[in-house]
Parts: sequence; structure tokens; C-alpha cells
Amino acid sequence: MVKVTIDGITVEVAAGSTILQAAEQAGVEIPRFCYHERLSIAGNCRMCLVEVEKAPPKPIASCGYPVAEGMVVHTDSPMVRNGRRGVMEFLLINHPLDCPICDQGGECDLQDQAMGYGMDHSRYAENKRAVPDKNLGPLVKTSMNRCIHCTRCIRFITEVAGVPDLGATARGEHMEVGTYVEKALGSELSGNIIDLCPVGALTSKPYAFVARPWELAKVDSVDVLDAVGTNIRIDARGPEVLRVLPRINEDVNEEWLGDKSRFAIDGLKRRRLDRPWVRENGKLRAATWTEAFDTIAAKLKPLKGEQIGAIAGDLCDAESMLALKDLFVSLGSTNLDCRQDGAKLDASRRDFYCFNTSISGIDEADAILIVGSNPRKEAPVLNARIRKRWASGGAVVGVIGDATNLTYPAAHLGAGPSVLKDLQSDSHDFAKVLAAAKKPMIIVGQGALARPDGSAVLAAAWRLAAHVGALSSEWHGFNVLHTAAARVGALDLGFVPGPNGKTLDSMLGGGVEFLWLLGADGFDASHIGAGTFVVYQGHHGDAGAHRADVILPGAAYTEKSGTYVNTEGRAQHGFKAVYAPGEAREDWTILRAFSAVIGKTLPYDTIDALRARLEQVNPVFGRVGFLPRFGCSDHTGPAGDPTVLSAAPFVSAVANYYQTDPISRASPTMAACVAAQAAPALAAE
Amino acid sequence: MYDFFYNTNIGLVILTVAEALALLVPLLIGVAYLTYAERKVLAAMQMRKGPNVVGPFGLFQPFADAIKMVTKETIIPSGANRVLFLLAPMLTFMLAMLAWAVVPVNDGWVSADINVGILYLFAISSLGVYGIIIAGWASNSKYAFLGAMRSAAQMVSYEVSMGFVLVTVMLCVGSLNLSDIVRAQQHMWFCIPLFPMFIIFFISALAETNRSPFDLPEGESEIVAGFFVEYSSMSFGLFFLGEYANMILMSGMTAILFLGGWMGPFGLWPQLGVLWFILKICALLFVFLWVRATFPRYRYDQLMRLGWKVFLPFSLIWLVLTAGALMAFGWLPNA
Amino acid sequence: MAFIDRTARSLLLGELVSGMGLTLRYFFGRKATINYPYEKGPIGPRFKGEHALRRYPNGEERCIACKLCEAICPAQAITIEAEPRDDGSRRTTRYDIDMTKCIYCGLCEEACPVDAIVEGPNFEFATETREELLYNKDKLLENGDRWEPELARRLELDAPYR
Repeated sequence: MVKVTIDGITVEVAAGSTILQAAEQAGVEIPRFCYHERLSIAGNCRMCLVEVEKAPPKPIASCGYPVAEGMVVHTDSPMVRNGRRGVMEFLLINHPLDCPICDQGGECDLQDQAMGYGMDHSRYAENKRAVPDKNLGPLVKTSMNRCIHCTRCIRFITEVAGVPDLGATARGEHMEVGTYVEKALGSELSGNIIDLCPVGALTSKPYAFVARPWELAKVDSVDVLDAVGTNIRIDARGPEVLRVLPRINEDVNEEWLGDKSRFAIDGLKRRRLDRPWVRENGKLRAATWTEAFDTIAAKLKPLKGEQIGAIAGDLCDAESMLALKDLFVSLGSTNLDCRQDGAKLDASRRDFYCFNTSISGIDEADAILIVGSNPRKEAPVLNARIRKRWASGGAVVGVIGDATNLTYPAAHLGAGPSVLKDLQSDSHDFAKVLAAAKKPMIIVGQGALARPDGSAVLAAAWRLAAHVGALSSEWHGFNVLHTAAARVGALDLGFVPGPNGKTLDSMLGGGVEFLWLLGADGFDASHIGAGTFVVYQGHHGDAGAHRADVILPGAAYTEKSGTYVNTEGRAQHGFKAVYAPGEAREDWTILRAFSAVIGKTLPYDTIDALRARLEQVNPVFGRVGFLPRFGCSDHTGPAGDPTVLSAAPFVSAVANYYQTDPISRASPTMAACVAAQAAPALAAE
Repeated sequence: MYDFFYNTNIGLVILTVAEALALLVPLLIGVAYLTYAERKVLAAMQMRKGPNVVGPFGLFQPFADAIKMVTKETIIPSGANRVLFLLAPMLTFMLAMLAWAVVPVNDGWVSADINVGILYLFAISSLGVYGIIIAGWASNSKYAFLGAMRSAAQMVSYEVSMGFVLVTVMLCVGSLNLSDIVRAQQHMWFCIPLFPMFIIFFISALAETNRSPFDLPEGESEIVAGFFVEYSSMSFGLFFLGEYANMILMSGMTAILFLGGWMGPFGLWPQLGVLWFILKICALLFVFLWVRATFPRYRYDQLMRLGWKVFLPFSLIWLVLTAGALMAFGWLPNA
Repeated sequence: MAFIDRTARSLLLGELVSGMGLTLRYFFGRKATINYPYEKGPIGPRFKGEHALRRYPNGEERCIACKLCEAICPAQAITIEAEPRDDGSRRTTRYDIDMTKCIYCGLCEEACPVDAIVEGPNFEFATETREELLYNKDKLLENGDRWEPELARRLELDAPYR
């Protein structure tokens, strides 16, 4: 530790930190453009100038200057102020005066700092520089005249996203940031460069010119389009969700957000179910809530418990799933399932289906084995975390499954489950790596579980984890990477077949007379038996709604307060940003209202009462936002014979990153992204 | 001819009707143009122009107003006493007309040259308060009732000092006949020796006709429109006509009592006769309007203080002084 | 002495007479009334009347949807929606002013960086229905086209003081 005095405040900081970091600890603000705490230090904007006593008598860029014992720093001396003013004047020489038409206006670092540290006028009368705009695909809009060459975008896309698409060509006044050859950005995290850009050079294309930051109502929420549980902020104006931004949560997403989660929100305005529908003579007809409820109640009345079933979808909040489960249990049915993809998840013990190491635990791992998963597509933010671990050195990554580019070098060990056997028997080279590792991690994807021998793969992976020492009292290296935001929550509250209950497969094909789909669009609806009466409760007119006999319009994740449990098992609350369209209602209230119609009134009238019930069902729902990490002392593996593995190669659960759920399938932006990924060069026309 | 008019009943009726018409038609036209004059004078004193659109200089404005007023709907409040509600404006209007029976407009030009003319005039103008009280009570509205109460109290208060002023004048004349009073001013108008009485009488006349600055019975700012708040259309119109006719009557009384009636100043052009009288009335009416444009409304306690604590003792003292002087110097008439 | 003076003035109604003298002076004074629909009073270049959206001389609308007027409007009378036009420029798709909310403070005009929204010299825009006072973009642009000479003139006159 080193003692430093900044503006009279003495702080102790770690040796090797920079003056800027020390100032942050001391609570002294130093203006900056190029410096970002999660990116490498570039030192090219020169805005962070400070004066250091007994150093060379000149302003010093604090972002790249290491502290030394007894250093005395001034951040507000006349020399510093003059220096900043000069830097700001130089930055503004070529920055256009187009704040009124710039989407960054109102939340622009350059605007703020020009007000705070700049001069009140310009002495520059010559023509400003003009730079042609670059086409970076359907998500990021560029206005390169505004670029101040901080290179944050280049550093992010190269270092964090691991897709070195961006770079600077030429130098000095002629420097331009671009993709060398015109092409769409190939990263699933490209939207983050919009947040990083301190000026309006990179802005959101779908959000272009739509709103101003001061018009927006900001609501904290949780992303549901993948299972990472990214913390987001929903910006809404009136009834419309206009954009989604990441919130900082060091344990989950740091400050990144995947492109799908950021840009699929225009799907929330399309193909929405905004009123109940009832099928009459083979055709759906608009109906009232009462009609819809009466139709369902009439159908439900003669049926016995074993003749009815319910399937929960991938985007559901825990509250509505619990309400549905309670309703069906009261009707005498345990035909419940949440595993639409048929993943052979074992709900008997929590660490059989959770990402036990936790996302922040990845930073400690020194050998990572990915089984049947493509985290770049399934959880890009988590993938960035693995990449960060790899980049910091000393970690080896191996993959069983598709040989794809994960943005970091990963040893491809094989395509099918047989590799697990080889590793178990130490006959594979990578087995030595795992065995040598102090903290090995095994990540099992849904691609490895959603197959007939899924439970065998799960058991084999567990056995391997136990074999390589991944299961110790301090370290739990067995991880399941989910793709559905609702899945862990559903498993936590037991939305799985009870004793003698039917699974998804047996409910389909006529196994039940009556099927309640809670936002379930993830399976082929044509497999539902022709005679089955289907109720679809959800927010988008997708696969499930097309097959339904009665449609009950529910709320999307932006329109309800809900609890979501991410792949780690971390329960998080999302808050309501806007009202659901038309007559649509929050899902748990629909179920509560219907329960009263059939005389099985659910015992909760408020979301708080329902949450109390959730906590009663499983205490993890009471630990919102907080995730305790446990080691593993019980090495008993999940059900399944680890030896009966098929030879079929693993296939990732997510083939198309941009369209995985009803919301993103309804989104034109995501459709444009699919087109751009298919032909990146063409999209840049 | 003479026989027919003066010695047959039909002739007398025709004559009386003709006399009444000769008096009332000019009077009503005068009332109409008084409203016009009021608007013009107030406008001029407020740097405005006043009505100037209907007809040349807006001269047809009174007729436009009259047509409007007649064609409007008469609204009778549901809680009102219908008979009294309709009776009140008629009473007010009728009393304002009745008083003119004894007013001499020229030497000998008077419908009823009775000996107690001044007493009659005083009685009739005092009766005017009934119309107002009935209107206020019959409207069944708290504002109208408050307005009526104010009006009654105010008229009673000012009639006292007005009575003393009249007594002073009568002492000087020795007759209650209005023509005699005018004739008594042949050498000097009473406004000169009795100047303070003249002022008190004129101010009391303002109070008696509920004119600004003593228009508390209307008091827009506190009680909306006072006793006629519930009135509309022609029933409102009758109140309106009555109030303005009363203004003319009070001006006429002032002219007769203090300004020598139909006589010109210093005996000038006695042949003008009635024109002198009209001119004096117009001048006094102008002062009515002028006062309205100048002074703000009195507070109620100020109004009462003025009536009882200033005018009453002052007029009483002046009455005693006058009587004393007349006795002391032997100037009593008919003595 | 002062007592006598005061009493004399009071008895002779000095204040009343001087007050009446004042009104009499006005009685003969010049009248301020003008024959309104045919004559109109003078209007300063900063008069804040009916709003208008201006265009550039080449016919291009000035408004760039920066929403500063919407943000500054103390009565929240302005509603703007924007999106990129086909040529990629930033334009409004909706520009509404609720003239029944507007308090004619002129802050929108001061906030506008391109002199697009202005308050013109027109004050005679009374309507028969309330709905007619909910101005949309078409109405505002039409106002701009109609009043452009006057609007340009008053901006020019006011320019030295901005």
C-alpha cells in the first residue's frame, strides 16, 4: 500500500494503481474521456491532467501515471485548469456544433465536461474536419465527425468482446475509427460501445432521434432474454419502452449487456396479445375476460387432476409460475413441466442445475471445460467473463461440442459425449490439465442435456467434476449454463412433474385433455394432441398462441414486477416500467382472478403476499440479489447412468443468437441482425 | 273647446292622459338617454370612447339595449314568491313616475299644483324603499336580501337629514307648494344662502337613489348585484328605469329647491322657462355621473357614520341657525 | 394653524373637489380607444403571439427535433415525436402545441437553436371549438408560411439584442 495525498486528502492505495484510481478512492473527480476502468489505459485524450509536486513541472496525465509513496497531487491548480481548458479547446476544434440533433445530447460526457472545464468560446475560425460515416450494421449508428479518438470502442471490441473488428487508420487529424473494410460488427456485445462512447459518434440505430434522456422514466429491471440475469435499466416514455441499458452489477454483468437484450425491445410492440381470444368453430374470436374464463372453467369442470397439465415458458417470472403451480395442485394435478426443450435437468438438488461457481467465480478458475454449449451465443456476457479470465492469463479453456470461435482460444476436445468418458479415464490430454488445475470448472450447456441421453451426460459431467477435484468443500466447479431466464426459478419452486406426474413429452401427444401454456412457445406446438384443449397465457402471438383454444393476454417482463432467478441461482427483482397493452394484465393476477372463477381462490391478493408464499416454498426467493457460494461436500451425482452415452455430437441450444424467444422473434431489429450476420459485408452497403 | 276639456269628464280624462304623456314620454326618453350619457361620460373620464357603433355616435344604443332587454327570457327563481317578485319592479317604476305629478316644470306647468307638494314628493320617494325590500325578500336569495337590508337602512338614515334640509328650505319659503318654493327664489337661488344644505341635500340624493359612492345595495364586489341579483329581462329593466327616473327626479328636486327651478340665473331669458329647468337637471345629472366616475364606494360603516354623525347634526345645527337668523332679523316669510 | 388648515379643507370638501377636477381633466383629454377591427395598436418586435414553425428559404423545414422547446416549456404544452426521415436527417413526425395550455412566455422561441419555432405577431386566432386550438405540425408550418415576412422582420429587429 502506498500513501498519496490528493487535494489535501490522504489515501492509501494499492501499489501500482494510477493517480486517477487513487483520486477515485479519495473521492476527487478527475475529468476523463479515454480512461475506462474496465479497459486498458490508452492515455490519448489528455483530459485527466493533474499536477504532481516534485515531479517534472508539467501537467501529467493521471490515468497512466503510477502512484508513488508520499506523492502529493493537485487536481485543481491553475496549471491544471489551464491545461484542461486547452485540451478541451483542442477537442472542440473538430467537434461539430450539432448537439441539437445529436442523440447523445443530454447525457454526453463532452457536453458536461465542456460546461465544467472548458472555455466559454472558441478561437478557432477555420473549417472543421469532415469524416465519412461508417456503417457498422443495424445496431450502431455512427457520426464520425463527432469522434474525439478516445479509442474506447476499439479497446472494448478488441479486449472485452474479443472481436477485433474496429481499429484506427491514419493518424493525427486524419485518424479515423472504422472496420478497415466496411462490414457489420460481428460481436454479440457491440451495443456496449454505444454506452462507452463519451460523445455522440456511436449511437443506437433503432433509437435514433426517438427521444431525449430527460423525457425517459427509468426503471430498474432484470433482463430475461438469456439466463444470465443481466441487470438492466428500462427507459420508457409513456406506454413505450424506448431503450434498455445495463446497470452495473460486478457479480453478474459488470456493466455489459448483450445485443439481443438491448435491442430486441422493439419486439415488445409487435405481435402483442392485447385482449382475450376464444376459438369457436376452429377460428379465434375476440372475447372478454369473463367469456374467456367461463370457457376455460366449463372445459375444466369435468376433468380430473391427471387429465390436465401445465407448461411454463422461458420468460416467466417466478410469481406467475408459482400461482399456476398452486392452482394446478389445488385441482389435483402434478402434471407440470418447465423444461420445454426437454433438457434432462435433475431438480432433486439445487447444485445439479445451477451455475454453482457463480459468474464472478469464473475469475478464480484456472481450467474451464465447456460441454455442449456455445456461451458466446447462449450467454454473451458470461462469455465475456470467461474471456476476461483467459485474458488475465493462467487459465485454459477446453470445449466439447461445436468447434466455434468463442472469442478466445479454446482447445476443441471433441464433438460428442465420448470425450467425457476419455477424460474420466484420464486417457485424454486435457484430463491432465483438469487434474492439475486448482479450481477447475465444468460448464454443461443445454445442448448437452436436451437430448435423449441428457441425464447420462449430466451424470457423466458430475462424475468428471468429482474426478478432477472440482467438487471440494471450498470450490464447486460443476456448472449448468441455462438459456432460459425462467428455468432455474421454475426448478427452485418445483415446477416439475410431481409423483406420478407427466413430463412434457407425455403431456404432448394427447397425454392430457387440458393444457395450460404459461408463455410456452419453446416446443413444437404441433406435437400437442389434436383433442387437447389448450389455454395460452402470454404476451406474444407466437407458436403457443396459434395452437391455443383460449388466449389470455399477459404482460411482458417490462410490464410487470417479477422475480427471476438466473443461471447461478441468484434471485433478482425486476420492476414494472410500463403498463401492458390493451386488456392484458400481469400474469399472476390473471391466475388469481381465474382461481376465483372456478372456486379455488388462491390465497394471495398482493404481490407481497405472493412473494411471501414464494419464500415459503423455497427460501432462495427471499435472498434477492445476493448469492451465497457453497462448496460441495456431497458427491452423490444426479440420477442417470453416466455410462450409457450416445455417440451423437453436442449441438448448441442456441443456433441463432438473435432470435430465441417470442420477443426477439417479433423484433425487426433482430431480423435485421440475422440478415447482417448472414452477409456482414452486404449489410454495410 | 275649453269647456270640453275642463268641464266634461271625458275631456278631463283626455286632458289628464295627455298631460301625463307629455310629462312621461320625454321623461322615459330622458331615462333612455341618461343611460347613454352615463356610458359616454364614464368612458370619457376613463379615456375611452363609449358606445359609438349603433347609429351615429352610438345614439341608437339605448334602443338596442331596450330591444335586447325586452326580448330576453324572464327567469323567476324556483324559491321566489312569484307575486311579490313581479310586483316589486312595477312598484319601483310606478313610484318613480308618480312623483312627477307635482313637479312644476315651468311657471304654472304642473299636473297637480297641490299645497303639500314637497311633502308628497318626500313621501313618494320614501316609498321607493318598499320596492327594493320586496324585491330582496321575494327573491329568496341571501345576496338580494342583504342588498335590500342595506338599502332600507341607508334610505332611512339619509331621509332624516334630507328632511331637515327640506324644513330649512320651507322655513325660508313659508310654503309647501313647489311652485311657491321656486318663486321664492326669484331674487336669489337658495343654493347661495343655504350652500351647505345644498351640498348635504345633493349628497343625500345620491344615497337616496343608491348611486355611487353609496351604491352599497348593489355592491357588486360583495353581494353580486344586491337586491336585483335574481332579476332578468324586463323586470330587471323596470328597476333600471325606476333607478334612472329617480335620478332625474332627485335632480329636478334639487333644481327646484336650490337652483330656482325654471328661472334663469339673474332673471335671464325668463321666456326659456322649461328649458332652464331641463338644463339644470342635465347639469345635476352630469354631476351624478361625474361623482360615479370619481369616487370609490363607501364602506357600510362609513356610510352610516356620514349619515348619522355628520349630516344629521350638521343639518340640525344649520336648521336652528337658519331659524334663529330668520327670527332674529325678522326675515320670516308671511310674517 | 395646521388644524385650521385641515379643518377648512375638510369642510370645503377639498379632496373631493380635487378628485373631481382630475376626472374632469380626463373627460376632456385624448381618448385611447381605437376602432379595433379596422385600426390596430402598434406591436413590438418581441410580441409573443401565435406560434409558427419556419422554413429555410429553400423550403426545408427548420425544426430538427432537438426537443429543447419541449423540455423548457413551463406549461408542458409542446409534444414532439421524432424519427430519422428517409434521407437520414433528424425531423419531427409530430409537433403539437396545445394552445390552451400555452402561457405565451416565449421560452420555446428562446430555446430553439435554429429559429424554427417562433411566436409571431398574430393574436387573432380565436376559434369556435377547443379542438381547433390543439395545433399540429401542419398547422404550425402553415402559420410559418403565411407569416414568414413578418417573422423574418421581427427576428431581424430583435437580433441585436439576442
